[in-house]
Amino acid sequence: MTTDELIAILARSPEPAHPRRFKVHFALALVAGLAIGLLALKLTLGFRPDIGMAAPVVALKVGLSALIATFAGGLAIELAKPQTVGNEQTKRAASPLIALALGSVAIGAITVFATNPEQRFEAFTGGGFPWCLVAIPIMGLPTALLLLWVLKDAAPTRLMLAGASVGALSGGIGAIIYATFCSLDSIAFVTIWYVAGIGISSALGAWLGAKVLHW
Amino acid sequence: MADDEDQLRAWMMRAQDGNSQATAALLSALAPRLRAFFRGKGANREDSEDLVQETLIAIYTKRAMFDPNQRLLGWAYAIARYRMIDRWRHTKRRGHEMPIEDFEHSLVAQSHEAGDPLRDISRLLATLPEKQRTAIELVKIKDMSINDASAATGLSASDIKICIHRGLKSLMALVGDADAFNPALVPIASRDTLS
Repeated sequence: MTTDELIAILARSPEPAHPRRFKVHFALALVAGLAIGLLALKLTLGFRPDIGMAAPVVALKVGLSALIATFAGGLAIELAKPQTVGNEQTKRAASPLIALALGSVAIGAITVFATNPEQRFEAFTGGGFPWCLVAIPIMGLPTALLLLWVLKDAAPTRLMLAGASVGALSGGIGAIIYATFCSLDSIAFVTIWYVAGIGISSALGAWLGAKVLHW
Repeated sequence: MADDEDQLRAWMMRAQDGNSQATAALLSALAPRLRAFFRGKGANREDSEDLVQETLIAIYTKRAMFDPNQRLLGWAYAIARYRMIDRWRHTKRRGHEMPIEDFEHSLVAQSHEAGDPLRDISRLLATLPEKQRTAIELVKIKDMSINDASAATGLSASDIKICIHRGLKSLMALVGDADAFNPALVPIASRDTLS
């Protein structure tokens, strides 16, 4: 088949494209991922028992997670489109996410050092292993799988980066879900370990993205 | 250059609306640029033509993912670059490939001769997934139009096109293997490049 013949075949009665369809699917994946995660949490560990009284602090934790998810989502939508290396638009979409993550960890670090030395370690670790490192990626997993599926149907050309942004977004969703369970409310704990959990989710997303996002 | 960009973008917007002439104009205008791009990256003539075709198919099938805020040429080259990387990954795994044009020639040659070689084609076709086999049989061998094939199978027209291209690609790989025991299947012109 010569290239001209191919063009003739492709151009013969093309159907209208649906440029908005991707964003609709993307939004549906987010809502479904969040709903599945919340339902799974309710059926297994359950929400924190004092969730009514702790609503303000839960809202703060959800807010931080949602903010990260929002920035990561903007980046993921950019990276779903064919992108050349070093694209300015991509860099612009990535910078607020990175700034927010670094800022959050910095606030956490300052808070840890402001705590008096006897309580410092507990403020830092929450008095045990920070389970949110494991829980946040797991609770974001349904979202991640749905989003990767949606993204594979789009046209990402930088697979690892696209995967990382999906991972960060899913981690943000995972953190929103986890915030309704976790009863550790210290600023240092949330700003450091939630962000670290989202970072782990992002790293897993980069690895998975490079593997599954081919088209 | 700016005029080009505007013209290409205008064609793309109409191609997204399903306009046939604009789709043809867009793809025809991009083909020589893509050819130059791949040759510039060091692909030989056959490989670059194959890559041009793969990229045109990708541009067509992914046209919904063009955002009017992007530069169209940047968008197209990003796809071209991606197709090239994808191809390197595949050739590393599968060894050599045969250009799609040569396989088409061999298909045509076989259908003139009838008899045994045709059975070889059917044998090769039989190894393809059913959708791809049916699409190729209807359009490339029985000479149906894409729309008739689409009506006959219930698949969408673009599905048929994709099936044909994928099917031809896997057939090319199969022909490469079959070549060892059936040289008649490979046109003379391409034997040198295969050896």
